[in-house]
Amino acid sequence: MWKTESKGAARVEEAIKQLLPPCQIKCPINEDIQRTNVLISLLPEEMEQARPQIIEISDYLYEKNPFFNICGYICGLCELECNYKTKGGAIRRRLLKRFLSDVYTEHLSQKEEFGVVKDKENVAVIGAGPGGLMCAYALSKKGYRVTVFEASNRLGGALWLIPGYRLPADVLSTTLSNLVRIAGIDVKYGAKLGEGKLTIEKLRNDGYRAVFLAKGTPYPRVLTFDGEVVEGQDLSGVMYGHTLLYEVSHGNIGRDYFEGKRLIVIGGGNVAFDVARTARRLGGDVTIVALEAEDKSSRDGIPADEEEIAGAWEEGIRIVYSHGVERIIGEHGRFRGISCPKCTSVFDDQGFNPKFDCTDCVSLEGDTLIITVGQVPDKAFLQREELLDEKGRLIVDPFTLQSLRKGFVFVGGDVRRIGFMVEAMKEGLVAAESIERYLRGLDMREGRKRDYEGYGIPVRKSYKRDVEVAWIPPEKRMHFQLIEKGLTLKEAREEAKRCITCGPCVSCKACVSIGFEKSLYAVEVDVERCSGCGICVYACNYDSARLTEVEGNIISTTDMFKCKSCGMCVVACPSDARKLVDDSTEKRIERVLAVL
Amino acid sequence: MKHYEPKLVCFSCKFGWGYLADEDELHHRIKNWVPIICSGKIDAIHVLEAFKQGADGVLILGCPEGDCHYQDGNYEARKRVYLVQKILGAYGIEPERLRIELAVDPEGKTIPQMVKDMSDAVAKLGPVKKVKERARTAAMAHR
Repeated sequence: MWKTESKGAARVEEAIKQLLPPCQIKCPINEDIQRTNVLISLLPEEMEQARPQIIEISDYLYEKNPFFNICGYICGLCELECNYKTKGGAIRRRLLKRFLSDVYTEHLSQKEEFGVVKDKENVAVIGAGPGGLMCAYALSKKGYRVTVFEASNRLGGALWLIPGYRLPADVLSTTLSNLVRIAGIDVKYGAKLGEGKLTIEKLRNDGYRAVFLAKGTPYPRVLTFDGEVVEGQDLSGVMYGHTLLYEVSHGNIGRDYFEGKRLIVIGGGNVAFDVARTARRLGGDVTIVALEAEDKSSRDGIPADEEEIAGAWEEGIRIVYSHGVERIIGEHGRFRGISCPKCTSVFDDQGFNPKFDCTDCVSLEGDTLIITVGQVPDKAFLQREELLDEKGRLIVDPFTLQSLRKGFVFVGGDVRRIGFMVEAMKEGLVAAESIERYLRGLDMREGRKRDYEGYGIPVRKSYKRDVEVAWIPPEKRMHFQLIEKGLTLKEAREEAKRCITCGPCVSCKACVSIGFEKSLYAVEVDVERCSGCGICVYACNYDSARLTEVEGNIISTTDMFKCKSCGMCVVACPSDARKLVDDSTEKRIERVLAVL
Repeated sequence: MKHYEPKLVCFSCKFGWGYLADEDELHHRIKNWVPIICSGKIDAIHVLEAFKQGADGVLILGCPEGDCHYQDGNYEARKRVYLVQKILGAYGIEPERLRIELAVDPEGKTIPQMVKDMSDAVAKLGPVKKVKERARTAAMAHR
């Protein structure tokens, strides 16, 4: 019967020798992708029977990643490094998680609290975004009493800026409200650090022994050209994308807000595309002006995801690549248009340093300008708290996230460096580990650095195409309901089955977890019997069986890190020199044959 | 001729067959059933040993083409079946007594029927002939 186990022999071990499948290396929090792919591929065919198992797999994922059902809508970083990428498309891991999420999000409200005894120090986390909550989750599970101070009245931070057609609001709110309930995290809403009497010093005096500052980037970045702020950003009709997304997420903007309006959105990142597609849904005629080039593979390529660009294109949004904004033109205090010189290069060896050809200039007219060129942290606050250096940069150890000015303060997430949700989550985890070490008086660095090495693609005869990502057709999706179709159980099983499980067995153990194997058997080579013929090398699909010269003799060996204990080399060996240690298969066969 | 029930051995891959079923119950319904982690792990020796111990037929159930968890174990098994059939033929044992199916059935509901179908086919062949008789058949085939 279908039952998975994650204790004892089936417990995933920390990958020794730092080998992992490439997807798990790409994932900042190294989620157990391979293991759960295998388990999804083995789900029952009927939804009714599969449901409890989907919850079992999800519970397992939840332990490490309480955000996984959000990742299922918006992440998918792992797919960028999938070995299958060049063979028929990466495994659609994001959609597989979305598939789990479709069942698990409903289940979350019934999930029991962890009930960890909170007998350790008080820790304050500032900001209830993915970074802050992840840190709170990790510390809370270890028995720390964590209080999250959130400036607004809801959990999630910048996640709320993701439009509803990509991430449904109920998935977001259900996930987060249950997260704090399940982990037993205390949240104080409307508690903005730096406002009134609430300072870091006050938190310290109130008995919080460590502080994780993950305040994000609450302010939009202003538009600049050649190092100077472009004038006219105060004109009526000019706004920041960040503000638009915020207001939309609060339901403050009517469905036809931009009806009949011509809009220009400045920016080439995913947020700019979120803004453009949101504005389009509010009735606007939208043009995106991006500094970067159309060719994503070039150094100056547009940073937005391909899916975003394709989606915008389908929805009738024009994109003007490789143009900056030199001037904002106004008339009687109202926005009228922009003047856009050709951008000849965005980055040089020093980094972001755009160059323009001002003789090649395009003029665009519009009714509204939405600037979406990035967000910035609350520098004034950081300055007051003395966390910046004289150049205005955060002084934080990037490895431990510990402030070099105040040892009990740790800083991470977007406030330190803007990134994807899962990167903020990773910083939350790093901070949690640092805070524990700090409070327990342990070495802050020892044994923490891990450089992982990826696996190549195993030898295989045939490959399959990936499942198609299905969106509602553009003419029917001009709303804020989810536009992407989830996978059916059948599609999920088949997609998961495509995973070629290129990672090591110790970091997977799906077969042990589900009871197919008792443990991972080691291959033993009887040197006396081995003739060095090399048939095992041919039989092995994982580049694990090899020939080595020992004292003048050629013998075969097995790289135990790459070995999958499949036994193909054992069967192939003509001189019976190979065997799987502790494997009972032979005995089972013997027993059956003996009673014939 | 008195009623003869052939003895069949059934090997099946765990990733494709019967993993959702109650294994004990299925064992009850399928005589001489050996679930194995991958059909590619079934050695020619295992098959030959089965015949040596008195089996009248061997059925191997592997995953569908392109579905093997260990990449190509099912293809390996199919190749091996082909080769072992040649060996069996050389011994005067009908190659039809060894069969491989590449498909998937997590609940294993179809296994008993597959075993029965093969059993019926083998019953028509009768028991594996005695060595002397086989030698005669083989010699005749040679001529």
